[in-house]
Amino acid sequence: MIPDYLERLACELSFDRSLARNVRQEVEDHLWEAVAADPTGNMLAAQQRAIANFGDARAIAAQFAVISLARHSRRAGAAVLLVIASVFIAMKARIAWNAAAQLAIGEDMRAVSGLVVLIDRYAFWLSVIIGLGGWAYIVSRRIPAGFYPAHRKQLRRFFVLCCAAAAALVVSVISDGVLTALLLRGTELSAGFLVPVFSMAIEIVCVGILVFHIRGVARRTASTAALLNT
Amino acid sequence: MLKGHLDMIVLAALSAAGPAHGYAVIEEIKRRSGGAFDLPEGTIYPALHRLELAGLLKSIWMTADSGRRRRVYTLTRAGNRALIERRAVWKQFSDAVGGLLGGTRPRENPA
Repeated sequence: MIPDYLERLACELSFDRSLARNVRQEVEDHLWEAVAADPTGNMLAAQQRAIANFGDARAIAAQFAVISLARHSRRAGAAVLLVIASVFIAMKARIAWNAAAQLAIGEDMRAVSGLVVLIDRYAFWLSVIIGLGGWAYIVSRRIPAGFYPAHRKQLRRFFVLCCAAAAALVVSVISDGVLTALLLRGTELSAGFLVPVFSMAIEIVCVGILVFHIRGVARRTASTAALLNT
Repeated sequence: MLKGHLDMIVLAALSAAGPAHGYAVIEEIKRRSGGAFDLPEGTIYPALHRLELAGLLKSIWMTADSGRRRRVYTLTRAGNRALIERRAVWKQFSDAVGGLLGGTRPRENPA
């Protein structure tokens, strides 16, 4: 009986495997302890009583889902900042390498590159400002006991901020890609190419990680809402 | 009404019991309240997780005598501070309501 209940609880929390595992172990300890403390000595009745006293698996899972969502939103907020910092480091490393290797954009493309640099700069700093704002917003919110309308509104705002920061960062990375392509255009293929190409790959992977985190928050929000609505 | 004060109740139980696992926290709440609070035991666990995420509790996993994995919670310094604040707010509220219902004047705040 207790294993069935634990299975149901873990199944309801399947959207967060580590939470499901931890909650399962914690609840298992609780239920068996309650059975051991039951004065009747009737094993089956004691298990029934322990489960009944513990509450409906779906209702308990819904409360955990709200906390899981809060935890992942905070993580996503921190991920935005980490990703932006990583892109900045990759960008600076590439610029330093280009200077050391005396790589420069050809005269014919100077005007275009000047415009792209401007877009790159504004887009990057916009992502920094929005990312910082999103992180500060989410960490300053109280962790709610339920999925209340006010909390949903906060999550929506945070989601919009994350998407805006990611969009600005994507523009910045695309601009970096254009600049790198302009820089390497017409240059003979050599080992020196590896550094700019590798730094661009790091930037693209960073953006991918950010999108993954934002998608994770969206999915968890949907799972939590589904748990509470049914 | 109890739901609104669940965090304070859990913090107070942990403060009284010292480091404890979920079952012990529930038993402490039952014992100290004389069994007055009839809430599903399972609701204590999300509250424990929420308080840990807020930095008011910390937890470690250990192995119980039964051989099962057990999560033991402890109040952090921030948790102690939060409990002191909530106790003060509760006392003020309780005095005010007591004054209204019993016709006695609540004690003036010395500050």
